Amino acid sequence: MIRLSLEIGQTQKPEAILFYILAPLSVLAALGMLIVRKAVHSALLLAWVMITLAIFYIALDAAFLGIVQIVVYTGAVMMLFLFILMLVGVDAPDSLTENIKGHRATAIVAALGFGGLLISLIGRATLNHVSVGLAMANEPGNVQGLASLIFTQYVFPFEVISALLITAALGAMVLAHSQKSAGARLSQRALSSVRFRGDSLANAAGLPSSGVFARHNAVDVPALLPDGTPAKNSISGVLTARGDVQDSTQYALGSLPKVDDESGDK
Amino acid sequence: MSDTPVLQYSFLAPILIVLGGAVIGVLLEAFAAAKRRAVLQLTLTLGTLFIAFLSLLRIRNLTSAKAAMGSVMIDGPTILMQGTILLIAFFAVMIIGDVDNFTAQASAVPGSDEEKSALQAGRQQTEIFPLTLFAVAGMLLFPAANDLVTLFVALEVLSLPLYLMAGLSRHRRLFSQEAALKYFLLGAYASAFFLFGAAFLYGFSYSVTLSGIHAAVIGGTANNIFLLIGLTFISLGLLFKVGAVPFHAWTPDVYQGAPTPITGFMAAATKVAAFGAMLRIYYVTFAEANWNWRPILTVIAIATMLVGSIVAITQRDIKRMLAYSSIAHAGFLFTGVIALNKAGLAATLFYLLAYGFATIGAFGVITLVRDSSGEITDLNRWAGLGRRSPKIAALFSFFLFAFAGIPLTSGFIGKFAIFTAAYESGNIGVVVVGVLSSAIAAFFYIRVIVMMYFADDNGDSLTVVIPSPLTSIAIWVSGGVTLVLGVYPTPVLNAINTLATFIR
Amino acid sequence: MNSANYLYLSAMLFTIGAVGVVIRRNAIVVFMCIELMLNAANLAFVTFARINGTLDGQIIAFFTMVVAACEVVVGLAIIVTIFRSRRSTSVDDASLLKR
Repeated sequence: MIRLSLEIGQTQKPEAILFYILAPLSVLAALGMLIVRKAVHSALLLAWVMITLAIFYIALDAAFLGIVQIVVYTGAVMMLFLFILMLVGVDAPDSLTENIKGHRATAIVAALGFGGLLISLIGRATLNHVSVGLAMANEPGNVQGLASLIFTQYVFPFEVISALLITAALGAMVLAHSQKSAGARLSQRALSSVRFRGDSLANAAGLPSSGVFARHNAVDVPALLPDGTPAKNSISGVLTARGDVQDSTQYALGSLPKVDDESGDK
Repeated sequence: MSDTPVLQYSFLAPILIVLGGAVIGVLLEAFAAAKRRAVLQLTLTLGTLFIAFLSLLRIRNLTSAKAAMGSVMIDGPTILMQGTILLIAFFAVMIIGDVDNFTAQASAVPGSDEEKSALQAGRQQTEIFPLTLFAVAGMLLFPAANDLVTLFVALEVLSLPLYLMAGLSRHRRLFSQEAALKYFLLGAYASAFFLFGAAFLYGFSYSVTLSGIHAAVIGGTANNIFLLIGLTFISLGLLFKVGAVPFHAWTPDVYQGAPTPITGFMAAATKVAAFGAMLRIYYVTFAEANWNWRPILTVIAIATMLVGSIVAITQRDIKRMLAYSSIAHAGFLFTGVIALNKAGLAATLFYLLAYGFATIGAFGVITLVRDSSGEITDLNRWAGLGRRSPKIAALFSFFLFAFAGIPLTSGFIGKFAIFTAAYESGNIGVVVVGVLSSAIAAFFYIRVIVMMYFADDNGDSLTVVIPSPLTSIAIWVSGGVTLVLGVYPTPVLNAINTLATFIR
Repeated sequence: MNSANYLYLSAMLFTIGAVGVVIRRNAIVVFMCIELMLNAANLAFVTFARINGTLDGQIIAFFTMVVAACEVVVGLAIIVTIFRSRRSTSVDDASLLKR
């Protein structure tokens, strides 16, 4: 029997140096993921963990996996995460209040116990052979070795994975693709007849644009009508629905300092 | 260069047919006219399941063999479990075919104008049918998988469509979407545990096939610590999937939130697949290492039976109550798993069949009890149902009797067989707890029946809708199977006994 | 240094991921923690592949990556759907199902 923690497969010194530099950094980044409040920071830290893992894969004679790790995980998966985070809103920090009292402390204590147990178990593990190394298996080349396994021994699960990809595509369509009802969109002709042959010609020249001239011209500030009331139709319906409309009466002329005073100073 | 792989398509035919049907279903989504899509999809799905069942019958007498380069093991238990899954799925799809239970357009925000117009236009989310077929394909593969890769892939193939379908309820959509999120996060968490365990089993045995791991277990020279870690984590993943205590927290929420036909399908068919895989893993691979897992699994079985039965008493919602009842049933099934003998295997297989049909039927009935705002799952409002629609109430009572294990129902035979097997294996404690929790469980099933028949009619607006032909076929057939398995189970028991031997 | 150090690292990352799932409340962060756990499992596979001298471990790691990519698509689709519903119906952070 060989003590796993002592004697299996001593690696070359450069790999040891690489490990001792990168491993603490990846653990720190993983811990940081739990501590930082903003989800985007968590995502970036996770991307870093994944990149260090890719480097480890290459050091572990898994060159193909190392590259795939970078392309698939950091390139595709993490970008998807970031994309969704941007969509959902980057600024919202995670609430740090506890739902259940003492829940977090319990979880951390449990984790320390769990991780400690796992690591001490691995440390006490024994093997009855020294690390074989992949020199022989990788002899025709890592990619060739993997390919011959994937297309012979593991060809069936490899084919079944396509079901998973179809499911994912189908699921994303079901949940995110909205099929607008056909025919609901009016033609150009119908639109202009609504505009010019409607009840009034008030909007025939186009809807008023948003903003109070020279004071505030953002899209969420309704224009002011001559009588001082905000013009609702100068704002996009989406903003109204979201309740993101500002009160434009604060920019009305009546609330401004007298023009004469300002010009007097100049 | 390596040789060309030999897949042995006849053995894989049921799985491949279901996958093929699913792919054709996806194409139908793209090319069929929206008006005819629902009918086409339903026909295609039922046809696919039927043909897959026929192709399964063709291979039932073949001597068991490995297929697909050893990735898949076709032996007696595989054929029985695949048959059970296909039958359950066939009748579940009939109930799923009643589109009133599903959202008209999943992408529309609940309560929005878009949703209203989609409802008015009578739009349907017919993608449910191919998703169901994908899930079925994963379920067929899961108990047949013979190496860790296939096991993991099958687990995901069966889970992903279920996560999606859990969120597609027509009424109370926020609940439903939240159920989908919860199911997804906990399911993915469980898969991660499963995978970590698989890594250590690979480290333990230098092999990813179940027979290779078994060889390392009996060889005894490999490192037992890796075996322990691997076994623990892989079991954690599986326990999550079947909803065993203490990993059951998701079950009631997901069962309640998901559309009722999907809940029925999930409860019945997922259990078969997950217990099938569990039986294979424990019986084939780790039988000789049972000092490692049997005591812990015994404790979990006892806890699962008791918690499921006791907490169910306090439930006021029929779907939640059935969810806790399904937890209790998972406990009974564990009793069969830890028996670790042939009788235990056969009893578990029979129980899965019996429970599956009763579950499909019971959830089918729940889809029928509605008022203007959708299904009524509040137990208090079911009061007096027995007088208003005696036939449906009688059928539901019959399913509840089956869950409780009253004689003349399939549940009685199943419980009897499973406790006998546990007794034969010398595990008296589990049998005592099992009988005890059956008695506790009977209390709340019978309370529902009393409520339906003897409580005052509260003049509620709830009605039992007239079921669509397919739904009523599914419900009545489930009732029939439950009755036949309870009255004359001998042929089925004999068939299971002849086939129920795992091949390594 | 020996290869077992990679296993310690894998166990640590797995534990951190498992804790993160429990203590974080943002669904996206929880999901990222699950991804971390999958990555930790992959590292264990690749390490064992070298210790055992077979490529099967690398194959599983490769399969896991594909599976994880699919899982991410489905998971994020569900999360976005919930986000859209919650936002427009102003249901706050509290869970509806846990009453």
